[in-house]
Amino acid sequence: MAVLVKKVELNWLDRTYVWPVLMGMVITMRHFIKQITTRSSKRFTIPYPDRKRATAPGYRGLHELKRFPDGSIKCVACFMCAEACPARCITIESEEYGDINKTQGFQEKRPAVFKIDMLRCIYCAMCEEACPKDAIWLRTDYEQASYDRLSMKFGKWDLMNTYADQDGKARITSDPTPTVPRPPVDE
Amino acid sequence: MESLASLLHLMPETFWMIVKVFIVFLGPLTLAALLTWGERRGSAMIQDRIGPNRALLFGRWRLLGLPQLAADGIKFFLKEDLVPTDASGMLFWLAPVLAFVPAVLGFAVIPFGRSFSQGGHVFHLSLLDPGNGMGMLYPLAIGAVAVYGILTAAWSSNNKWSILGGMRSAAQMVSYEIAMGLAVLAIFVRTGGYDPQQIIAAQSGMWNVLPQIIGFLVFFTCMFAETNRLPFDFAEGESEIVAGFHTEYGSMKFALLQLSEYLHIVTAAALIVTLYFGGWRVPFVAEPSVPLSVAAFVVKLVFFCWVFIWVRWTIPRFRFDQLMFLGWKVMLPLGLGNLLLQAWLMHRGA
Repeated sequence: MAVLVKKVELNWLDRTYVWPVLMGMVITMRHFIKQITTRSSKRFTIPYPDRKRATAPGYRGLHELKRFPDGSIKCVACFMCAEACPARCITIESEEYGDINKTQGFQEKRPAVFKIDMLRCIYCAMCEEACPKDAIWLRTDYEQASYDRLSMKFGKWDLMNTYADQDGKARITSDPTPTVPRPPVDE
Repeated sequence: MESLASLLHLMPETFWMIVKVFIVFLGPLTLAALLTWGERRGSAMIQDRIGPNRALLFGRWRLLGLPQLAADGIKFFLKEDLVPTDASGMLFWLAPVLAFVPAVLGFAVIPFGRSFSQGGHVFHLSLLDPGNGMGMLYPLAIGAVAVYGILTAAWSSNNKWSILGGMRSAAQMVSYEIAMGLAVLAIFVRTGGYDPQQIIAAQSGMWNVLPQIIGFLVFFTCMFAETNRLPFDFAEGESEIVAGFHTEYGSMKFALLQLSEYLHIVTAAALIVTLYFGGWRVPFVAEPSVPLSVAAFVVKLVFFCWVFIWVRWTIPRFRFDQLMFLGWKVMLPLGLGNLLLQAWLMHRGA
């Protein structure tokens, strides 16, 4: 394809080259003065570790495994998320509750192991889509870094506590026994 | 000053000379170091960025990013000093020195303030006293020597990019020195001498920039070529030949090359101030006091250093053939025409 070269006729002032340069210098000076007189909080650049950008409402960041108000996990270890995961980064091992599951209305299963390999995860939120119990969702945290690969494998308690401090919830390290029957989740 | 000199068992002249050596050596060096900061922060502001501001002094004070200078200095000293195996060892070591020494020398003849007399002695505020026989020819000659540092660095690196940069630098120097010389010649003709003190004395009524505006433009443009700055940074040419003549340089050797570039900016600004903007003269003050004259010189000097940075971040770089065109077909005729014009005006008695 031929490229049409657009010939621009310069007038004598532009051809001196001095005048356009001066105009350009005025423009750069205007930028300079505007930027130097702007307060750091109003500039385009966000000084990252000091101030962080607020994430958009639909942002897909680090996962959280939701819990009920009494602290027990919402997940019923149905493996839907593990099946839906395109990156195959979710590992679940299920276990049964004790005698309590004989009572009508209680969950029968819960995950004994719920591992997400954060190095593999592509943050597509397919697990969130697939979950029938709304037990997993992707939230705002995007700062995941570590000095070794092993600590990038987030386990069940990591995932349940990822946003505990932020939400003002207690950090838990063991499954509390559910006290009341769970209502079915409205879809 | 007499008492200070006698305290050190020195003649006042000797003492003053030592003081001047310190001023002339450390002053431009400090300014050049500050220019690296000014360049990075200034260019950032021009481009709506922020620039380096993370380095902290003692982990606490940010000071507008100035600790970055110290951090860079420490880094340059502590980095591994890498010499390519195929580089010419001796010349590779010599090149940064060859670039640095002329850059430091250039400032020696510039008067940075009014001369004053005390106790029967006249003290001049320039390292080389007036009437030394070299005058303004000295910084121009030193500036021409500076290209050897670049050429040596380029040849000794044994690198394609380096050699390209060095060749370009030499060609650029040839095509601009003549126009620059002609522009300065017009000033010598008008002044009737080439001593910086004479040139400044001749600018007491009006600064040279007004009657010699064409000469100023030619000289100013040539100074950009002389300092190897954008828009004429063909020796470095980082957008096409990696880093040009200092591609293979690292650690303190690179720092010396870089520092000499900034020293050239300081010297070039000092030359512009002396030749065209009245040196230490203050507008509307006939005979300024010594501190005022020094302050005026420093203000002008810093302003023109800033103009070098300002222009660099305004204009895109030239193509090499455009530079040649500009040098030979625009600058040279303009310089010649300016010289003829001034000669004609003098003949008319204007």
